[in-house]
Amino acid sequence: MSLRGHYRASSSTDRTVSFLIVRYGTRYFALPSDGVRGVLTREEAGNGQTVVRVGKTYHEIDLAQLLSTTLDRGSVDLRTVLFANGDSCGAIRVDEVIGLVDADRDQCRPLPPHFQHEERTWIAGMILFQDKLALILNPEWALGELGEVVTAAPRVESSSGIAEPAGSDRPC
Amino acid sequence: MLRSARQQQQAIATKRSWNLVVFSVGGLTLAARTEDVGGVTPWGEGISVPSRTPFVASLLKRDKEILPVYDLASRLHRKLRGDARLCLVARHPDGPMAIGIDPDIPTLHTLEATEIRPSRREDVNTLGSFENDGKDIDIVALRQLGKD
Repeated sequence: MSLRGHYRASSSTDRTVSFLIVRYGTRYFALPSDGVRGVLTREEAGNGQTVVRVGKTYHEIDLAQLLSTTLDRGSVDLRTVLFANGDSCGAIRVDEVIGLVDADRDQCRPLPPHFQHEERTWIAGMILFQDKLALILNPEWALGELGEVVTAAPRVESSSGIAEPAGSDRPC
Repeated sequence: MLRSARQQQQAIATKRSWNLVVFSVGGLTLAARTEDVGGVTPWGEGISVPSRTPFVASLLKRDKEILPVYDLASRLHRKLRGDARLCLVARHPDGPMAIGIDPDIPTLHTLEATEIRPSRREDVNTLGSFENDGKDIDIVALRQLGKD
């Protein structure tokens, strides 16, 4: 399928980077677009744990769990993003694919220094698009290559903690 | 870690009078030095971040500004009252930081340094405490949040 939108976050043309913006609930995340191999509808992706496209097998990656959120399986805009990074790849289901965003590198902000631990490796930075804030995900972490999974922690309001390492079954 | 009583006394002794912002977190009344507070505004749009940094697990977007959120309520084992929380902006060495507080409008207080005494609070760093209407109010060391 084609992407729904292609936005420019700036009028400048040099030193731009491109992201695929996806949504879980009210939260937005940015995946480096050079790793995107395709975006499939629910019907195209099917209901299995794997998606085979152009001779490649993409195993489902539970990015929603990594992000301590849940996938809205009833979303009419649900899509599966086929994503690859080096030799790793995965099929990532999201509530919605917003579209591609081109941004100047200087529009990509780092996480504030108050974040002091592993999340600095997981989250490459932040970007504003259409007045929304999206977290730029490290592709290696998104695909489970860093071997860490974050799940909701038993905190009063918000929440993060760590569970077992991500699955290692990622043939491509 | 907690500052020793001697350190607190030294900090207290360096100022003759203290200007404080008094606010509440989950019904617990607290104070902070006015020079440690960048402002109080309505809460903005929050986004949670997968994080292992204790009590820092979300960002707050206010127009073009993005602030890390320090979850002081969780640290104090409290739950903010009401849905219309306010944002207290802490002036922090690493940059401004948002702290969710109860929707009660904070008030300003001026105290003589002699009214300030060491705090007994052990779950968060303080600069001391004072008594107001029969209640002990701890002065939170906002600049030390996340550094302990």
